[in-house]
Formats: sequence, C-alpha cells, structure tokens
Amino acid sequence: MRDTWIVILGLTAGTFAIRLGGILLGQQIPTTGPWARGLRALPGCLIVSLVAMSLVSGGGQEWTAAAIAAAVAIVTRNLPATMAAGIAAIWALRHFA
Amino acid sequence: MALTQPADPPADAWRGAREILPIAVGVAIYALAFGVLAAQAQFSALQVGVMGASVFAGGAQIIASQQLVAGAGAVAALVAGLALNLRLLLVTASIREVYAGRPWWQIALGAHATTDESWALMLAQRAKGRPVGYWYLVGGGMCLLVVWCVATVVGVAFAHAIPDPKSLGMDFAFTAAFIAIARSLWKGRSDLLPWLVALLVVAGSIKLAGLAPSWSLILGGVAGAAFAGVTGDA
Repeated sequence: MRDTWIVILGLTAGTFAIRLGGILLGQQIPTTGPWARGLRALPGCLIVSLVAMSLVSGGGQEWTAAAIAAAVAIVTRNLPATMAAGIAAIWALRHFA
Repeated sequence: MALTQPADPPADAWRGAREILPIAVGVAIYALAFGVLAAQAQFSALQVGVMGASVFAGGAQIIASQQLVAGAGAVAALVAGLALNLRLLLVTASIREVYAGRPWWQIALGAHATTDESWALMLAQRAKGRPVGYWYLVGGGMCLLVVWCVATVVGVAFAHAIPDPKSLGMDFAFTAAFIAIARSLWKGRSDLLPWLVALLVVAGSIKLAGLAPSWSLILGGVAGAAFAGVTGDA
C-alpha cells in the first residue's frame, strides 16, 4: 500500500518535471540552423520511432496489418478510417490466418 | 511564427476535445486493460483515479504497475516508468512555440495536457494547414484525461469482467493511429532519410543491441532529428 503511493507521487512529480523540462529545453534552442532543423524534424521521427517500437515486438501478422493501415492512411489521409482498417486487419489475421 | 493563434480559445478547445474522440475510444480500451493490471498490483479505485489524473501517462503507469506485480519494489517501478516518459521531454520541446509567452499557469496546464496523442493530433491538423494551437492541444488533452481516469477506474472496479483487448485486435489501435498521424506529418522526400534513420535505429537497438524499448524510442527520435539537422538545407 505504501509502495503504491510512493510510485504514484514519484511518477507524478517526475512526469510533470519532464513535460515542463522539455518546454524549457525547447526555448533554449536557436530558431535557425542545424538545431532548429533537427527540432522541426523531431515530431515525425518520434512518431516513426513509436510505430517501429510497437512493431519490433510483433510478427508477420502485425507487419501485414501495419502495411494495410499504411496503405489506407496514404490513400484516405483519414485517422478513424486508418484505425478501423488496422484493427479489422489484425483481428482477421489472428482469427483466420 | 507562421501560424496565427485562433482568436476563440473555448471554441478551439472544444474542437480539440471533439476531434480526439476516435483516439479516445482507443485510450478507453487501453485504460480498461490498465485497470485490470492495477487490480493485480493491489491498487484501490481511489489510487487508480488519483494516478490517472496526476501522472496522466498510460505507458508509464502500465510499466510501473507491471514492475510492482513482478515484485520489483517502488524504486524499480519508478525508474522504469520515468525512463519511458523521457520521450515527453522531446515531445514538449518539439512544439516550444505553442507555450511561448503564456502565463505560468497556462504553461503548467499545457504541459500536463501534452500526451503522445494530443500532441500528434495537433501536429496532424497543422500539417493540413489549420491554425490550431495551444487551446486545441489543451482541449484534446483534457478530454483524454477525463476518458483515461473514468475508464481506468471502471477497469479496476470490474477487473474480473473485462475481456482481453488482444482478442478483439484493440491492442493495435495506437499503432494504427500513429501510422495515420505519420502520414499527415509527411512533408515530402526530405523526410524519407530521417524517418528511415529513426526506424533503423529503433529496430537495430532493440533487436541487435538488446536495448530497452523506452530508450530505443528516444534514441531513434534523436537520431532521425540529428540526421535532418546535419544534412537538411535551410
């Protein structure tokens, strides 16, 4: 019980400090030059890393479903449609493949 | 700054809250799964509710709880959770102009409302040319916070009655959402090499070097951004 509250308080303080720290860090970075170019590229690279991280632990079914979701995303540029296609694809692959 | 701030904060926040709803459905299912885990880790409903509102970082809450279930102790659980959250340093840094010039309470509120999902959705809307900003981010984040708290408490209270999200394919909801958001962030061929660097660094550092996924995620993001910073033109 005590451990649980320690974890909750520690995660609260640490996570908020990280979120705030990023804002302070961002304000220290120049607005032109290589650092600014890197910071502009950062969101896309982080999203790609998130997708890569979740696919590395998966197998052929996850990769196939991701490819189907990517195809739907490229054609429709639509978030709910891509989510629906990805979930339907992984469900079908796990049940019927 | 290229994008003008919208003149109507409440309307912008409301739009953010409404447009994040498809992702919020995914968050709710993820939250139910976390509630089941939290019940195994001997969390009370009160503790789960407080944790959801105050930590508000699903992945870190899950990893910390898994550590507690495995008997790892409070310090190990904390370190694992915070290591995963280090990516949020890059997330808030990457949208620095959203918080610029605001009073301290708005900076604190905006920081707390910034999650992978609210951040990514705001960026995706900007990539479409919509002038969304701070209040859109806060509206989306607060909508997710309410959904996250309610669904995690429901999950811990009804842990025995919840089916495995994996059997419904719902564990794939976020991967699919981030694929859609990556598509909307694609600005052209100059993105190809940095994204490839990020992808290869994440895959290589997990598969070949055995790095923990939370560190490889940060390494991949930084590597791709550094590559773009060094090679890109003005």
